[in-house]
Parts: sequence; C-alpha cells; structure tokens
Amino acid sequence: MTSARMSSRLTVAGVAALLGILAVGQLRGQAGVPGLSALSATELTQLIANLTTGNDLLRDEIADLTRQEAHLTDARLRGETTVGELTADLARIRAWAGLTAVTGQGIAVTVRGQVGGDGIEELLNELRNAGAEAIAVDGVRIVAGTVVAGAPGALSVENAAIGEAFEIRAIGSPQILTGTLTRTGGVISLIGTTYPDASLTVTPVETMTLPATQRVLGPVDAQPRL
Amino acid sequence: MSAVVTRLRSLPSVQVTLAIALLVLGFLIAAQISAAGPRIRYSTEERSPLIETALGLQAHQESLKAEILGLRSRIGDLETQDPGAADSLRRLYAQLEEARKAAGLIAVTGPGFAFRLEDGTQGGGGVDALVSARDVRILVEELWLAGAQGISVNGERLVGSTAVLDIGGSILVNSAYLAPPYTITAIGPKDLYDRLRASVAFAEFVKGRIEPSGLRLSVAQLDKADLPAFAGTVGLRYARPTPSGVAP
Repeated sequence: MTSARMSSRLTVAGVAALLGILAVGQLRGQAGVPGLSALSATELTQLIANLTTGNDLLRDEIADLTRQEAHLTDARLRGETTVGELTADLARIRAWAGLTAVTGQGIAVTVRGQVGGDGIEELLNELRNAGAEAIAVDGVRIVAGTVVAGAPGALSVENAAIGEAFEIRAIGSPQILTGTLTRTGGVISLIGTTYPDASLTVTPVETMTLPATQRVLGPVDAQPRL
Repeated sequence: MSAVVTRLRSLPSVQVTLAIALLVLGFLIAAQISAAGPRIRYSTEERSPLIETALGLQAHQESLKAEILGLRSRIGDLETQDPGAADSLRRLYAQLEEARKAAGLIAVTGPGFAFRLEDGTQGGGGVDALVSARDVRILVEELWLAGAQGISVNGERLVGSTAVLDIGGSILVNSAYLAPPYTITAIGPKDLYDRLRASVAFAEFVKGRIEPSGLRLSVAQLDKADLPAFAGTVGLRYARPTPSGVAP
C-alpha cells in the first residue's frame, strides 16, 4: 500500500470520526431540556419558586401518606380493622374531588356586568394557582371537567345560565387568594382591560359552605391501568 | 456534459467519498453553530446556576411524584389485605376505589384522542407563534365541553386543582414544567372529535388563533389512550368536609 493511499484513508477515517461526534452532539442538543435555556433570569426565578412550592406540597403529601401506611401496617400486624382510617381517607378524597360539600374560610368575588367565559376561566385558573381548595360559581361546584362558557351576557355553567351579577366563592387562604387576584397586572386588572364594563370585587369570607358537584366524575369509558 | 461525467469517473473513489463527507461536515458545523446561538446569548454567570437549580428541582419533583404513587399503591394493597374484611369493609374499599378513580388518582386506559399542539413558524417565530398556556387551556376546555371524561397534558393528569400557567415559551401544569410540543390526551366517547369540531368556540379558536399564528394542531384517534394518575397533593388545609355532605 502506498503512503499516499494510506494517508487518504486516514483522512477519510478522521473526517468520519468528526462527523460522528458532531452528529451525536446535534442529537443530544435536541434531546436536552427544551425551553429552559430560552428562559430569562426572571422566568427561571419564577420557575424555581413554583417548583420549590410544588415540591414542598409533595413532601407534605408524602409525610401524610407515610403516616397512613404506617398506621395501616400497624393495625394489620395487631389484627385490627381500619374502618376509622379508611373512612377518614374516603372523606378527604371525596371532599378534595368535589364529591361532597366542604366548609372553610376563603373569598367571594362578586362579578357584575358583561364578562365572557374566557375571563371567568382565567380567574378560576388564577384561583387554582393561588391554592384554592374548592371553588363554586353561582352556587355550582367547579370540578375537573366543569367549564364556565359563553359570550358576555350569555354565560353558563353545567348547562345552567348565569345572570349578569353572580358570585364566585373559593375556599383557601383569604390573604393569598385576595393578593393574587388583586395585584397590579393581575387577573382582575386584565379582565378589566378586556371587559371594561365588568366590575369585580373581592371580599374575604370567614366561613362558607360550597356544595358537592352534581357531575359524574371520572372516565366512565375507561378501565384502571394495571 | 459527457466530459464532466468522464472527469468524475476518472476521480479516485476516496476523493469522492472525502468530498461528500466534507460537505456533510460543513452542514453539521453550520447547524451546530446556529443551534448554539441562543444558548450562547443566554449563557451568563447569572443564569447557569438558575438553570442548574431548576433542573435539580425538576428531577426532585419527579422522584417525589414517584414516591407518592408508590405509597398510594402500597396503601391500596394494605387496605385490601385487611384481616377483618367483612362486607361493610369491602363496601368501604369499593367506595374508596371509586372515589380515587373519580378524583384522578388512578391511572386509566380507554378509547380517546391525542391532540398535538406545536409552535408555529409564521411571522419569524414571534411570541404569537408560540403555544401559550391559554391555548392549551382553551383546547382543554373545549374538550371537556365536548364530553371528554379525563385529560392529560404531556403526561400530567388534569384534576380540579390543576392550573395551567405560562413560563417563558413553556408552561407549568400541576407545578410541573412542560415544554412544547404539547400532547393533550383525552378519554371520551367515539364522537368526541366530531363534537369538538361542531363547537362554534373551537372553530373560532382554530380560525382566529391557530391558523393566523401558524400554530400546528394535529389529532389521532386512539383505541387505548393512557392517562396517568395525578401524583400531587390531595391534602386540605382550609376546607373540611361538611358533616351532612350537603350545603345549607
């Protein structure tokens, strides 16, 4: 084999190796965490705050579940039934899902004037983000699948028409809920910009009771995945 | 023309291979440089630790969620192994199972649809061409109104407490950071998509938002759509069940 031919082959091998490295780099770059690198420092700080709060709540849930598991294990070892534990768990899940009425402190948002369903949905989204544990619109409990829809003046929820003046009630921390809704540039001021004829006022409420949903919850056409 | 072909045929095959390889190499280098552009632009000393912190918190969130699902599964097993499983207890287990299914705490599978919502390229890829939390919320609301019985977004199950928020060009769902494209999976009746298309509000969303912004919306019908279990908190701090279960 001549030295010229040898060097040609080595060049091709070198180029092929470089190609491989670049191709892998390209693929890895595309498979990385998309979006994070495009966030500004302010957005990243906001994301970190959200993740931190969310993780704190998850840790609380783990602590509750760990206690529940320990209690069940202990009861089983002693040959005792766990009716009390099960009943409490059932009540908690049903209340959280909206299957039973709940009582607690929170806020009432009085809505007057012409607002579209999109504006009310924005407000409900903000209430959920602020930690509302139960919400009702014009006396109808909001659960997964409930949508306030319609053009201004023709709102409805769960097939029931809503008048031009109605109340949104939410159970949660009155301070946090009020602060989130009424902050400068918050959802109420945004609704005011889109719907200038609307007026929304927020009032803390010491105790309120929100009804259970009448809706059938959960996928009836689905089976638990094993 | 024939002279060019003759000339090409006379070239050693090694040279041809090398030329093609160098051409591809050039393309790859150009692609690498252009892809690295935005990252270089943002790679400041201030942002690197923030990105690392966010990534660490995200990874931790995943492990916490996995732990919650594991605990719920073990608790479910313990409940059904109760030694005193009398009729009254068995009814309680069945009620618990039903409540968990209704609350979205159990992964389910059933007939449904998967919608894919992707950023557009129109208008030079400006803000309007990015899928926003509002876009996802509108599609989800329209699906509920069309009769969807359960929905997830990029593997996050939607429940009564779910908020969908903007964070830069991405979204937060159940406090989980999700980046586009978004896959919205819905379990529901076979005519779910027909009902969706019949909705005036959905038609307005497509004509007024999707099409002008160049966003891409595609749909696939699934015999088996999988919805994961909600892996968040179901604790109540402020609300307590009303004893009678009925509002006054």
